[in-house]
Amino acid sequence: MSQKILEVKDLVVEFNTDRGKITAVNGVTFDVHKGRSIGIVGESGSGKSVSALAIMRLIPNPPGRIAGGTIKFNGENLPDIQMDEMRRVRGNKIAMIFQEPMTSLNPVFTVGNQIEEVLELHQTELSPKERKEKTIDMLRLVGIPSPEQRVKEYPHQLSGGMRQRVMIAIALSCEPDILIADEPTTALDVTIQAQILELMNKLQRELGMGIIMITHDLGVVAETCDEVAVMYCGQIVERADVDTLFKYPKHPYTKGLMESIPAFDSTSGKKKEKLTTIEGMVPSLFDLPAGCNFYNRCVSASDRCRESEPKLSPVEGSHEVSCFNPLSL
Amino acid sequence: MSEYLLDVRNLKKRFPINGGLLGREVGAVSAVNNVSFKIKRGETLGLVGESGCGKTTLGRSILRLIEPTGGEIIFDGEDIRTFDAQRMRALRRRMQIIFQDPYASLNPRMTVGAILSEPMEIHGLNKGKDARKKRLYELLDQVQMPRDTLNKYPHEFSGGQRQRICIARALAVEPEFIVCDEPVSALDVSVQAQVVNLMMDLQKDLNLTYLFIAHDLKVVEYISSRVAVMYLGNMVEVAESHELYGGSRHPYTKALFSAIPKPDPSLKQDRIILTGDIPSPMKPPNGCHFHPRCWQATDECKNKYPDLTKQSETHEYKCFNPIT
Repeated sequence: MSQKILEVKDLVVEFNTDRGKITAVNGVTFDVHKGRSIGIVGESGSGKSVSALAIMRLIPNPPGRIAGGTIKFNGENLPDIQMDEMRRVRGNKIAMIFQEPMTSLNPVFTVGNQIEEVLELHQTELSPKERKEKTIDMLRLVGIPSPEQRVKEYPHQLSGGMRQRVMIAIALSCEPDILIADEPTTALDVTIQAQILELMNKLQRELGMGIIMITHDLGVVAETCDEVAVMYCGQIVERADVDTLFKYPKHPYTKGLMESIPAFDSTSGKKKEKLTTIEGMVPSLFDLPAGCNFYNRCVSASDRCRESEPKLSPVEGSHEVSCFNPLSL
Repeated sequence: MSEYLLDVRNLKKRFPINGGLLGREVGAVSAVNNVSFKIKRGETLGLVGESGCGKTTLGRSILRLIEPTGGEIIFDGEDIRTFDAQRMRALRRRMQIIFQDPYASLNPRMTVGAILSEPMEIHGLNKGKDARKKRLYELLDQVQMPRDTLNKYPHEFSGGQRQRICIARALAVEPEFIVCDEPVSALDVSVQAQVVNLMMDLQKDLNLTYLFIAHDLKVVEYISSRVAVMYLGNMVEVAESHELYGGSRHPYTKALFSAIPKPDPSLKQDRIILTGDIPSPMKPPNGCHFHPRCWQATDECKNKYPDLTKQSETHEYKCFNPIT
């Protein structure tokens, strides 16, 4: 097993709202290893983005706060350190790419300015000339054609795929140890998505960073991650390496998610009469069921599930599931 | 009665670009360029392509929500481009549309009851309190929503439920043909599957004909009997959905399908990664619009636009060097 670079343990994030307190992330535990990718999958509102923002200490406070747990990075607990120290970590050691490349770039600065800003803040030893050169190198690294020209352009002059490449260039300019990618390709067309995922895989091989890939698309996870955590209502319900999870899903929710995707059946040319669905919908965080959060939508629910809450526990090797009635093979 | 409900011939939509001091026309975008296709009664034609390829413009032009610049739209034997406003309004009862974003397409100040009644009022259907109520309940049953939905407002519902309300609104006037413009793209996968199943059930029960526009090829392939692929305003390939996956002839279709991430890590297939972006529709490349990104391109492709090749009754494409 490669080197562990980030340890998230029992992370709890709460938000105060007009209707009371909600727990958006409830006891999430996972590790990030050097040169490996962990995927966090879940539907909207499952707490996957909030977990990522908590690692970056970007949860708006108030109304939100990290209410418990530890995030260990380089021997330090990130929630405890001072803000100016956090600024040295954020963007420098841990960087993030957001979903919407249009709104996360500043429209009134050239893309060159925006990459240089990061270098100016974190790599103070570079001279202005070296910064310019490095900026152009970064654009070349992410596969932007004629970077000497592009560096002077504004975000609106670039296409969606090119903007996302600029975002990646900004995130990677300080050679971070960890890259958090929050739905990096959701806003892009499939052909462009394929380009960006390929680029991220390539850069990971070259730079050896750990990646946290947050997505709702199981296809993206299958193709880019080594390990997967499935989230539901603020908790991880199943975790395994990618081959195991897709081959032997243990949690009924994981299996339900996989079966909801229309699959090409290239062998028989026939398709399923009906898509398998998960009945009902995600419960409101204000009104979670008493026992297992998935109880009222679950096909294998028993009385025990209604009364008590299952804990994430190992089933086989590193495969963990939070279910009283895990699916058998 | 013809087998085909809709027969679109050489449909064109050109958006002029005005500029300069006098606002003269300085250029134009051909969003839809000589597109022809037919849809049988009770069938679903899927329409796929990347953003900006003209699929939404095509969908709206068929309903004349955007006025086409040329071509014919033959709906049930009549060219609806010749209809005046009054006849067009009457016709709209028979053709409806469902939009992508269920958050933006429902008026937040109207109750669901009012939203569903409005189309009936416009077309003078189900008059009288009792008849109206009966029909409203029937619609809610069809989209599997509880009856107390009628007195609630759209913000009280989740995305999937709102999309069901949008479907009910389209069904309110008992249409024959529905343009579904990315109806499930904004929904989570588990909810998406529920809505897809619902739409397929409704099609069977009410004998509806769909034009199903989406960029998610998996959903389109699943719901459609035939699929049309668009690139920069042109339809480049049409085939039965099972023929298209695996048996596509146009390189673009092939690349599009291979780009979809498969939810199976054991499948490590050869992926075709297209280089570059979609060219600007303001100045599309000469010849075949796809040639700058195509790995099969020859000199012929740079100069001439390929004609339609009919491979079979159901499968046609526009390419000089199709995949064999």
